Amino acid sequence: MRGILKDILEAAAATLAAFLLYSLAGRAYPPLLLVFNAFSLVVILFAVWKGEVFGAVLGTACGLLQDSFSLGVFGIAGLSKTLLGVAAGFISRKMQVGPPLRGFVFVFVCSAGELAVWIFLYALVFSRKLGSGNALILFQPLATAALGSALFALARRLKAPRS
Amino acid sequence: MPSFWKDRKNAIVIGAVVFAHFVLISVQVPLGSERTLFERAVFAVFAPIQRAAAGAASALSGSWKGYFRLRGVQAENQRLLKELFFARQENFFLRERLRFVQGEAKIRENLAAIGKTFVAARVVGMDASDPFRSLVINRGTADGVRANMAVCDRNGNLVGRVVQPVSLREAKVQLITDAEAGVSVVSGTARIVGVLAGAAGGECRLRYVMNTTPGGQEGEELITTGFDRLFPPGIRAGRIISVLTDASLFKTIRVAPFFRFNDLDQVAVITERFEELF
Repeated sequence: MRGILKDILEAAAATLAAFLLYSLAGRAYPPLLLVFNAFSLVVILFAVWKGEVFGAVLGTACGLLQDSFSLGVFGIAGLSKTLLGVAAGFISRKMQVGPPLRGFVFVFVCSAGELAVWIFLYALVFSRKLGSGNALILFQPLATAALGSALFALARRLKAPRS
Repeated sequence: MPSFWKDRKNAIVIGAVVFAHFVLISVQVPLGSERTLFERAVFAVFAPIQRAAAGAASALSGSWKGYFRLRGVQAENQRLLKELFFARQENFFLRERLRFVQGEAKIRENLAAIGKTFVAARVVGMDASDPFRSLVINRGTADGVRANMAVCDRNGNLVGRVVQPVSLREAKVQLITDAEAGVSVVSGTARIVGVLAGAAGGECRLRYVMNTTPGGQEGEELITTGFDRLFPPGIRAGRIISVLTDASLFKTIRVAPFFRFNDLDQVAVITERFEELF
């Protein structure tokens, strides 16, 4: 029970950190929000560490938080991040994502998949394609993968002395 | 039964979460632009955190600058900037009122009320999915801000309108660059009337201008007409950057909004109702 509580607190702290990062990035330079999605990163990291169910629930929380600070239909980011949590947790159980290059590819694929689902749902709900002016969003998987693999490496280093 | 739950626990939880999302998305269809109670609750809980983060960042940035600059000069500068902000807004409204209101007595009457027509607000956050769609300001119902109030930048250019959710101290603003936005505007020279809607990447389009309509030049300014009963007339909205005429029924008119995204730290919410303004 204490372990679950600790996991939840850690996830809540990470979500809060992502939210603060989003708030500050938006104030500093708004297009940054298109290039980098801090919420996705938190979902992927925790899905790898804690499993797909935890990833799904955290994806729901992070996605709905993102939706509440966005115009449009509440739940689109929630659903895409839930699926991201499930996929990231499932894939990481099937293959080793520890090595840097593999971690990079893994986060890139997960992030690209999430983006594809989000764009699909966006097109389905709003009955229109994402405009070419928002092309910066296509860099999101790349930026998320770079940051994600760096965070995986950092986490490995921090854990190394203990083991 | 326990073994059934144990075997399929993960699948059941994931299925339930996904199903809940479909229900959540479906529930909003009949609501239209209204926001669900759940969304408003999440916004009300997290918006103060965003406001605090923005405030802390501003304070940190301010103290950093203050450390290196002369404190007296900075305080004076802040005061002058604040005065300039209000002076620009006031000047803008004075000019517009003079244009629309006839009669000296009426002008005096309007001038007396001008001081309470807007509330200065600070931008505390941008849209989490697309920064060109909406932003969050640090003024809410406690400051007299309500849904559908027009929002201008520090130079009196149109930024957007307040939309739900509006909490006690924060509110969401739909930008004119959002594709769902619609503003009735008229061009300054050729007097072309159309609907200004957002396009991707921070640009706008002037929609529903027939191909047969004469005029419409690059560089022409667009101002609000007030026909939409949302935005007061006479607010500068944008400038035409290109006009394309093809085989379709309507012209493709690209418009650059006057407000600048990187200069959106402070905005003005026109707090008086449309009918009371003009």
